[in-house]
Amino acid sequence: MKRRDFLTAASASLLPVMLNGFGLKAMSRQSVLVQSLLGTTALASDRVLVIIYLNGGNDGLNMVIPRDQYSLYNGLRSNIAIPEGAILGLDGNPATGLHPAMTGLRDLYNNGKLSILHSVSYPNPDQSHYRATDIWMTAVDANQTSNSGWAGRYLENQFPGYPAGYPNAQMEDPLAIQIGYLTSTALLGSQQSMGIALSDPNSFYQLVGSGNGTSPGDLPCCDAGDLVAFIRKQQALSVGYASEIKKAADAGQNLAAYPDATAKNSLADQLKIVARLIHGGLKTKIYFVSLSGFDTHSGQVDTDVTQGTHATLLGKLSTAVATFQQDLKLQGTEDRVVGMTFSEFGRRANSNNSKGTDHGVAAPMFVFGNGLKHRTIGQNPDLANLIGQSGSKEIGMQIDFRRVYSDILNDWFGTAHATTNSLLFREFPTVSLFSDTIETVASGNWKDKNVWTVGRMPFANELVKVNAGHTMTVDQTIMVKNIRLEGKLNFTGPYSIKMTG
Amino acid sequence: MPYLDQYTQPLTAATAAHLLRRATFGPTQTEITNFTGLTAAQAVQQLINNANYSPPPPIDLDSTQPTAGQTYLDKPFNGDRAFDFGNYLRHWWLGLMTSQTALPSLLDKLTLFWQNHFVTTFTIVGDYRYVYQYLQLLRNNALGNFRTLVTKISKEPAMLAYLNGNENEVGKPNENYARELQELFTVGAFDFAGNKNYSEDDVKAVARVLTGWKNTNSWVVGSTSFGTTFTLSKHDKLDKVFSASYNNTIPNNTIVGRSTATAGDDELNDLVTMLLKHPQTPRFICRKLYRWYVNPNVTQTIEDNVIIPLAQFFASAQNNYAIQPVIVKLLTSQIFFDDSNRGAIVKSPVELAVGTMRFFNQPVPDMTTDYAAFKVYFDFMFWRMYDMQMALIDQPSVFGYEPYYQTGYSKIWMNTTTIALRSDYTDAYIWRWLEVKPGYKMGIDVLAWATSLQPNFSDVAGTAPISCVDVQVAFSKNLFATDLFQSQKDFLIDTIMMQGIPRSSWTFEWNAYRTAPTDTNKRNGVTWRLQNLMKYMLRMAEYHIS
Repeated sequence: MKRRDFLTAASASLLPVMLNGFGLKAMSRQSVLVQSLLGTTALASDRVLVIIYLNGGNDGLNMVIPRDQYSLYNGLRSNIAIPEGAILGLDGNPATGLHPAMTGLRDLYNNGKLSILHSVSYPNPDQSHYRATDIWMTAVDANQTSNSGWAGRYLENQFPGYPAGYPNAQMEDPLAIQIGYLTSTALLGSQQSMGIALSDPNSFYQLVGSGNGTSPGDLPCCDAGDLVAFIRKQQALSVGYASEIKKAADAGQNLAAYPDATAKNSLADQLKIVARLIHGGLKTKIYFVSLSGFDTHSGQVDTDVTQGTHATLLGKLSTAVATFQQDLKLQGTEDRVVGMTFSEFGRRANSNNSKGTDHGVAAPMFVFGNGLKHRTIGQNPDLANLIGQSGSKEIGMQIDFRRVYSDILNDWFGTAHATTNSLLFREFPTVSLFSDTIETVASGNWKDKNVWTVGRMPFANELVKVNAGHTMTVDQTIMVKNIRLEGKLNFTGPYSIKMTG
Repeated sequence: MPYLDQYTQPLTAATAAHLLRRATFGPTQTEITNFTGLTAAQAVQQLINNANYSPPPPIDLDSTQPTAGQTYLDKPFNGDRAFDFGNYLRHWWLGLMTSQTALPSLLDKLTLFWQNHFVTTFTIVGDYRYVYQYLQLLRNNALGNFRTLVTKISKEPAMLAYLNGNENEVGKPNENYARELQELFTVGAFDFAGNKNYSEDDVKAVARVLTGWKNTNSWVVGSTSFGTTFTLSKHDKLDKVFSASYNNTIPNNTIVGRSTATAGDDELNDLVTMLLKHPQTPRFICRKLYRWYVNPNVTQTIEDNVIIPLAQFFASAQNNYAIQPVIVKLLTSQIFFDDSNRGAIVKSPVELAVGTMRFFNQPVPDMTTDYAAFKVYFDFMFWRMYDMQMALIDQPSVFGYEPYYQTGYSKIWMNTTTIALRSDYTDAYIWRWLEVKPGYKMGIDVLAWATSLQPNFSDVAGTAPISCVDVQVAFSKNLFATDLFQSQKDFLIDTIMMQGIPRSSWTFEWNAYRTAPTDTNKRNGVTWRLQNLMKYMLRMAEYHIS
C-alpha cells in the first residue's frame, strides 16, 4: 500500500469511529471535537521536524541582543559586545536585535517565519557539556536520566517494534535521518537508535550495494550475541533503505542557491540534503543536523568584534536556515516542515579575559517554518537582575525547553496530549508556538509575563484567552485583538480591554 | 565468580587471541601460536616487556621534498609543512601499532586509551611539535603513575592550548580546563549511582588554582624551542576553598594560596592530591579501563566486584596510583577471560584497520628506507579510519570518541553508513587495488593461500585435493572472536563459496587448477570462489566484534 492510500484509508476508517456515532454535519467545523480531530495524526502525517544542534553551548547573548539594555549588556562583556549600531533591528520589536551576521534570520523573523524563544533552559541547570546535552536530548529533569531520546521515544510510539519488520509497506523509509556518520541521543529509542546516519545520499547506495544473502540467524551467547544481532540488523536496514533513499535523492531537487563549497558551511550542506530528500518524497519524520564549534571559551570575536569565530558560526546558521526555508518555499514543501535549534547551554553573561565566554545557563532557541503564530516568546533577559555574583552572572530560565518539545509533539505532530505527557514524563504548559491564541497559565496580574503561555504580555494584535479558573488583575487599559473570557477579570480602576480586531 | 582472581589456565589459541585482540590492535597467527601455552601472567608480562620506548622519530614522508626521509622535529618550526608534518606524526604512530616485525606490545593500545582520555587534537593544537611531545608524555607514562600523568598533562603545552589553560589568569579565569580536569580526567561528573561528584563552585576554584600557566612559541615559524612558563603575577595568590564533595581530603578543603616562584607547581601538587583522594577518581579510571579492555557494559555486579576492588587497589597506599599493576591485574583476571566477555566489544576503526593489516601479514614498509611506500600504506589507513569516524589524534571533542562514553558504547561505531564504509575497507583486501609500491599490492592472495594448504600440489593423481571445508576452516582460523555455528559454516560454503552448486564441483575445479596452474581460466575458476568466501567473512558481523 502506498502511504497516501494508507492515510486516506486510515482517516476514512478513523473518523466515523472516533466521532462515535455523531454525524459530521451535526457539528460545526468550529467544534472542539472536529478541531481536535483535524489536528491529529491523520493530517499531521506529512509533517517533518528538522532539529539543528548547535554543538558546544551557544553564546545566546551575542546572538539575540537586548537593545533595550545596551549599556548593561556592554558592561557585562565589553571585550566582545556587539556595537550598538551594528545590531540588526527586528520589525515591530525595537527591544531586541540580532547579531549582524544573521541577516537571513532577521528576514525570516520579519516575514513571520521565525520565532525567537527567550532564555530557554530547565530547573537546576547543568554546565557539563555531556550532561547538559544529555538532558536536552533525553528531555529529563536535571536529577533524572533516561536511556532514550525524546524524538526517539516519539518515533517508537508511532512505529512500535522498530526495527523488527522495517522497512515495510506502511513505512518504507527511515523514521529519522541524521546527516553525518553517527546518530545522536535524541533519536535513541528504548533499545537502539530510531534513526539512521547518512552522509551523502549519492554515495550511500553505491556504498551499501544490494547485499548478498543473509547468514543464518544463529547468535553467539551473551553480549557478543547482542552485538552480532545489532550489526546484522544495521546491515539489513542499510540495504533496505538504500534504494528508497536513492529514489528520493534522484527525484528531489534543490531549487534555492545554497552556499558553494568555498563557504565551508557544513550546516547548509546538510540542510541541502534534507530539502532534497523531502522534495523527493521521503517520508522520514525527523531530520537531525548539527553545527559544531560553539564552545567559545576563547577568541570568539576578532579585533573587529562583529567578526570572528562566533560571527562565522552564526552567519553559517543564518544563511543555512534562510536558504533552506527559501528552498522549501520554491519546492512547495514549506507548509510541511518546521525546524528548531538548540544548544546544550548558553554562555555566561560576563565574558572572560580571553575574548570568550565560559559555560552558562539559558539561551534563546529558534523555531522556524510557516506554521508559527508568534515571533517572540518570552522576553529579553533582565540584565539588571541576573543570577550569581558579580563577574560571574548567569541568565536564568524563562521557558523550560520541554514546553517547546511538548508543542511540537502535540500541535505539530498531532500526538495525543496524554501520549506527549508520557513521552516527556509529565505535562508541560504550551508556549502557544502553533496557536494564534495566547492563554493564561495561572491567575495573576495581566502585566506579569509568567501568567501567559508565551512568557510575555500579549501584544495588541494577538488573540487572548483567559482560562477557566484564572482571575486576571487589570490595572491599566489593555489592547488585544480579541479576548475569550472563560475565567475572570478584576479591574482595579477605570480601565478597559480594547479589541483591535 | 572470583572476578579479579588470576586466570591460571595455560592459554589456548582462543584465549591467547582474545588477550592479543584486546591488549594490542590485533594479533598475527604467529603471535597467537607463540602465546599459546603461556599463562596469562607470562603473556601480559611479555606484552609489557616488549614495549619499545625509543623508536626512531617521525620523518618527512613526501618524496618530492628535499628533506624527504629526514627528521623534522629537531628542526625550526616549519609553518608551510605543518599540516603534512602533523599527518606524518600520525603515520608514524600507526606504524608502531601495525608493525609485525616488532614483538607484540600493549604500549600503544594503552597510549591510545590515555590519548582518548586526556584528549587534545591536532586540528586545534596545530603545532606538530606540541602534539609529538604530548604523545610522548602519554606513551612514556602510559604504564607509569597516574599522579605523574595528571600533574604533567595539566601544564603540557598541547593541553594548555587545547583547553585554554594558557588564558587562565588571576581575576580573569578561563574555566575550560578546570571543568574537564574534574569531569573527564579525574573524578568524573557523576558516581555510578548518578550523584554529582563536585560542584560548579569547585570548577571556579580549580580554575583559580591553575592560573598563571602559559605555553610558548606555539606555531611560531622558525622557533627552535617551546615549552611551559609560570608567571607569578598572573597567578591567583588567595586561598581556594572547595565544596564538601572533596570531604576535607586536604585541610579545611582549602588549597592555600602561594606567592613564591614555585606557587604554580605547589598548588598544582595540592590540587592533584585532592583530586586523587576523591573516592570516585580511581573508580572513574578503572571503569573506563574496564570498558576499554573487557566490556563496555558495566552492571551493578561488575561495579561491585570488579570496579570497586580494582579502584581500591589502584589508590591503595602500597600501589599509590601506579598504572602497570592495575593493567596486569585486569588483563590476567578471570573476568577478562570469561567466555561471556569474548566478542563483547565492537572493533573500533583502528582495531579493524590495524588488526586486519596485521592478521593478514601486510608488511609495513620500512619508514626510513622506504618512506614513499610507508606513506601510501598509512595514507590509506589514516583516511579510511577518518571516514569510519576515528580520526587519529583528532577526536570530535574533549570527551573523546563517542563510542567510549555515550549510551550504546561500542555499538555506536556501527550504523547504516559506517557499516558500508567498513565493508568497503575489508573489500580492499580482496580486490587488491592499492599498490603500496611496485610489486606490493595490499591485500590477501587467496589463491596462494589455498595453494599452500594443498599437499603435493602437482601430484593430482596421487594426492587428494583439499575440500571446500578445508578451505573454509583454514581461512577462518582465529579470524573470529566467537565460534561460528555449523549452520553458518554450511552457509559460507554452500551459498557464498559454491553459490548453490554441489561441493564436489570444488574438487573438480581445484584439480583442474592443479593440473594447469598457469591457465587463467582455471585459476579464475577457483579464485573467485575463494574471494567470495573471504570477502563475505570479513563483512560478517562476527568479524567486527572483538
